[in-house]
Amino acid sequence: MSTDTGKTIDAIDVVDGEIALAGEKHLEQRKPQEERRAFLVYMYLPIIFLTAALLGGLRFSSADGSFIFIKPSLLCLIYAAMLMILISRSHLVRLGSWFSDESSLISNAASAATIASLYIASTQIFNSLIPEQGLPYWIVAFCFFWTLWNNIFADFDTRRLVRSLGALFALAFIVKYLVLLNLTAPSNQSWLESVLQSPSKSVASWLLDIPQFSAGTGYVQFFAVAIYMLGLYLLPASPKKESNS
Amino acid sequence: MESVSCLKVRQIITVKIKYIQILGIAVSAVYFGFIAFLYLAEPRTLADVTAKAASTLQDATTKGQVITGTYGVDQTKFAEGLRLFRQDNFVAARDVFQKADPEARDAKTQYYIAYSYYRQGWGRLSNDDELFGSGLKQLDVVERLDPNFVAMDEDLKLKRPAELRHEFQEGMRFTSDDLNPLSLIRERK
Repeated sequence: MSTDTGKTIDAIDVVDGEIALAGEKHLEQRKPQEERRAFLVYMYLPIIFLTAALLGGLRFSSADGSFIFIKPSLLCLIYAAMLMILISRSHLVRLGSWFSDESSLISNAASAATIASLYIASTQIFNSLIPEQGLPYWIVAFCFFWTLWNNIFADFDTRRLVRSLGALFALAFIVKYLVLLNLTAPSNQSWLESVLQSPSKSVASWLLDIPQFSAGTGYVQFFAVAIYMLGLYLLPASPKKESNS
Repeated sequence: MESVSCLKVRQIITVKIKYIQILGIAVSAVYFGFIAFLYLAEPRTLADVTAKAASTLQDATTKGQVITGTYGVDQTKFAEGLRLFRQDNFVAARDVFQKADPEARDAKTQYYIAYSYYRQGWGRLSNDDELFGSGLKQLDVVERLDPNFVAMDEDLKLKRPAELRHEFQEGMRFTSDDLNPLSLIRERK
C-alpha cells in the first residue's frame, strides 16, 4: 500500500487516524489503540484518581453545610503504601513495565505521575473510610491493618485483589456512613433536646466520640470510592500493550 | 521500502504519545496543585475558594519578588500609611504600612510601625505598657533589617532605634519621676 518516498512525514499531516502526505496518495492506517491507551494511562487515569483524592477528604459541616477538608493521617499514608505493595505483588501494576531505563525520561515521568496519583487516591480513600477520631478510628484502622497485612503474604491474582478491595471498601463504607453516622445525634438539636428525644444516639455519640457531618458527606464519599474502584478497574498492568497479553 | 515507511509511521506515533505524556504530566501537576491548595487553604464555601486563591497568588507573587530581588515597598500604600500616621490614626496606619511591606523587609516602614506604637501608647499621666511592649518587639525587626538606621523624617523627634527603645523602656518603668507633677507638661516626641 505504501512506498518510500524519501520525504519527511510531518506530524501535522496526521488526520483522523491516517497519515496524509501532501501531494501524494500516501495513506497508512495508524494504530489508534496505542493513542487511546496513552490517553487512558497518562490523562484519564490521573484525573480519575486525583478526583477520588479530592473528594476523599471532603466533608460537609452538619451545622451550616460548609466544606471541611480533612488532611490524611499518617496511618492513611502507611496503609496506602501497604496497598501499593499489594497492588504490585498481585501484578495489578507491573512496575517493571511502567518504569524502564529503555524508556525516555518523559515516559518514565508520565508513568510516575499516574502511579503517584494512584498512591494519593489510595491515601485519601483510607482517609475517607476510616472514622476521624475516637474508638471507631482505632477499631476500623486495626481491621484495615489486619486485612492488608494478611493479604500482603497471600497469593493474589489481579481479579481477586480488585474484588477483595471492593468488598473491603464497601464494608468499611457501610460501617462508617450507614452504621456510625446513624448512631450520632443530630447536631441541630441542643444537648438537652438530644438527650430527651434520642437518648441512645446521644450516649453513642458521647461514648464513641463520633464527629457529626451533614448527610451529603456520605453521598460524596460514595462517589469517591466508586471513582477509585473505576480507576482500579481501568488501570492496565502495563502502560504499553504487551504482545503476550 | 515498506518497512522504512512503517518506521516513519511508528516515529510519528511515538512523537504523538510523547505529547500525550507531556500533557498528562502537566494536567496531573495542575490538578494536584489545586487539590493541595484546597487542603492547605481549607476554604469553607465556593466563594471562599476564589478569595483564598487570590490571597495565595498575592503571597506567591511577593515571595517570587523577594527571590528574584525585585521586591519593593508599595509606595502608594506607604504614602497612605504616612498620611494616617500624621493624622494620629495609628491603628489604620499600621495596617496600611504592613500591607505596603508585607514581607517586613523595609527598615523605614517597620520603623514607622514601631513609632506608631509609641505615639499611640504615650500618655501624659501613664503609658500603655502593652503597646510599648509591641513597639519594642517591632524595633528588633528594624535593627535586624538595618542596624544603622536613621529616620530622615523631621516629624519624628526620635531618629534612631536606640532612642526610641530608650523611650519605650523608660515609659514601661515606674519611677519616682512619674510622680513629678511637671511630667504633666511633657510633650510627645
